[in-house]
Amino acid sequence: MMTRVTFSLRRTRLIAFNTVREAARQKLYGFVGVLAAAFVLGARSLRDFNFGAPELKFLADCGFGVMAFFGAALVITATAQLFFSEIENRTVLTLLAKPVWRAEFILGKFIGLAFVAGVFCTVVTLLLIQVLASREAQLLRDFPEASGLGAFVSYSNVIFAGVLQWLKLAVLAAFTLLVASFAQTQLFTVVTGFFILVIGHLQYLAQDAYARGGSWLGRGMSGLIATAFPNFQLFALADGLNVGEALPWWHVARVALYALGYIGVACGLAVVSFRQREI
Amino acid sequence: MATEQHADRVSPALELRGLIKDFSTGLRGLKLRAVDRLDLRVEAGQVYGLLGPNGSGKSTTIKMILGLLAPTAGHCEVFGVASTCVEARREVGYLPESPYFYRYLTGRELVRFYAELGGLHGKALAERVAEVIATVGLTAAADRRIETYSKGMLQRIGLAQAIVHHPRLLILDEPTAGVDPVGAAAITELILSLKAQGKTVLITSHLLGQIEDICDRVAILDRGRLMLEGAVRELVGRADRQALLVPTLPAAELQELRAWLESRGHTLEMVAAPKARLDQIFLDCVGKKK
Ligand SMILES: Nc1ncnc2c1ncn2[C@@H]1O[C@H](COP(=O)(O)OP(=O)(O)O)[C@@H](O)[C@H]1O
Ligand SMILES: [Mg+2]
Repeated sequence: MMTRVTFSLRRTRLIAFNTVREAARQKLYGFVGVLAAAFVLGARSLRDFNFGAPELKFLADCGFGVMAFFGAALVITATAQLFFSEIENRTVLTLLAKPVWRAEFILGKFIGLAFVAGVFCTVVTLLLIQVLASREAQLLRDFPEASGLGAFVSYSNVIFAGVLQWLKLAVLAAFTLLVASFAQTQLFTVVTGFFILVIGHLQYLAQDAYARGGSWLGRGMSGLIATAFPNFQLFALADGLNVGEALPWWHVARVALYALGYIGVACGLAVVSFRQREI
Repeated sequence: MATEQHADRVSPALELRGLIKDFSTGLRGLKLRAVDRLDLRVEAGQVYGLLGPNGSGKSTTIKMILGLLAPTAGHCEVFGVASTCVEARREVGYLPESPYFYRYLTGRELVRFYAELGGLHGKALAERVAEVIATVGLTAAADRRIETYSKGMLQRIGLAQAIVHHPRLLILDEPTAGVDPVGAAAITELILSLKAQGKTVLITSHLLGQIEDICDRVAILDRGRLMLEGAVRELVGRADRQALLVPTLPAAELQELRAWLESRGHTLEMVAAPKARLDQIFLDCVGKKK
C-alpha cells in the first residue's frame, strides 16, 4: 500500500549537524571554550615549584579539573538550551511536520551534543598536552638529573584521560536530554542536570551503602541509586599519567562499554518519553 | 504502485472523524475542550478555509492532523494514512502560526535543511531550494540570517520550507497574519498558483475577505464545534438576484429603463455606484513602484 518511512540515519545526521551548527554560531559556547582554555594555560603560571613530576601532575590535575567543570557546565546548559530553543521557538513543530521520527530528533540532538562535547575535550586536551610538554622540556633542561627515563608524562595516557572525560560528558548529555524530553522548563532541566552530575560523582557512596547492607529499605534505595545512575568516578584517569604506567586499554574499553550502556538506556527512555510529549 | 495510485484517488486529502481534543488546565483535573467532535472532509485539489474566532480550535485541529498532538478521541487521515503514522507527513507541507525559525541560519540554509529532511538530495536539492526561494521572492535576502528578517519575510521563508519537498497538501495556519497588504496579496497569489498545480490547501484565517476570494469551501468553527460548512459560492452567492454594471446613465434614461422593467413586471431595486476596494487601490499604488 503506502511506502513506509523507516528510521533514517541520514535525517538523524542532518538534525545532529543542525544542532552543532546552532551551537557553533552562539557566542556563549565559544566563550565557555575560551574561558576553559584560559584556565588551562593560566595553570602554568599558578605555581612554579620546580620539582619535576609532582608539578606536572598538578598541571594535569588542573587541566582535567577545568575540563570536568567547564565541560559539565557546557554540556548541561547546551543540552537544555538547544532542546528548549526548538520547543520555545516552535521550530520543532515545523521539524516534526516533516516525515521525521521523534527518535531521529532525540538521537540527532544527542549526537550533535556529543560532538560539541568532543570538540571541547579535544581542544582542552591538546592545550593541556602543549602546556605539559613545554613545562616538561623546561624542567628537563633545568634539572637533567630529575628523570632517569628522560620524560615524566605519558602523553598517550593524557589522551586516554581526555577520551574518558568525553565519554563522561556524553553520558551526562544523554541524561540531561532524558530530563529535557519530559521537563516543562529549561531551568528545571539545568538544575536536574547538575543534580545528576553530583549524584554521579557521589554514586560510590550508594554502592558502599548497598554493599554494607542494613535494612531492606536502605539496601533497596542505595541499590536503586547505584544502578540507575552512572558512576562518574570510573571516568577519572588522573592518577595514571606518569611515564611507565601501562596503557589502560582494558580500562578505557570497559568504561566505554559502561558509558555506551548508560547512553543507550537514557536515549531510549528519552525517545519513549518524547513520543508521548504534546508539542 | 498501481494500488497506491488507486488508493489516492478514492481517499480525500483530509478526513477527520469525530475528532476531540481536551486539554487539562491543571487545577483539579479540569478539562478544556478545544476541539469538539469535528467531522471534516477536504477533497484533493480544493482550497479549503478553516475559519473561526481566536481560540476556536483551528490550530489545535491542525496540530492533530500533523500528529503533533494526540487526539483525545476520534480519527484523522491524510490521503488515507492515519495522522499517527510518520508516513502521513510525507505529503504535507506546514506553515505554523506566526512562524519562527532557527535564527542562526540563513534563509537558504533553513530551506535546504527542511528540503533534506523532506527527502531531497543531490543536484535536485540545490535547484529546488533556489527555485522555491525565488517563488516566495526572497532571493535577494536568501543569504542573510533569519534573525534579520521581518515578519512578512518570516512568513515567506516559512512558505518556502512548506512547499520545498513537493507536498500534495499544504496546511497554512494564518499565513497572512501580521503581513502588509502587498505581502498578503503575494501570498494569495501563491496559494492560487499552488491550486493551479493541483495541490490541496487548507488555510486558516480570520481575514474573511481574503478567504472568500480564494477558497472553494469553508468550515466555520466556534469553541471547537463545526458551525457551518459548505462551498463558498453557495454560502455567499444569492441565486435570486443579479447586478448589472453600466456606465453612469443620465436621469432620463434611467427613468426609461425603470419603466421598461416595470412594463415587464420587474422592479429595479437598487441603483448605486460600485466602490473600488481600498485594498485594490492600495495595491495599485504600491505595486507600481516595484
Ligand atoms: N497546549 C495547550 N494547553 C491548554 N490549552 C490549550 C493548549 N493549546 C491550545 N489551548 C486552548 O485551546 C483552545 C483552542 O486554541 P487554538 O487551537 O490555538 O485556537 P485558534 O487557533 O482557533 O485561535 C484555546 O482556548 C486555547 O487556549
Ligand atoms: Mg491559531
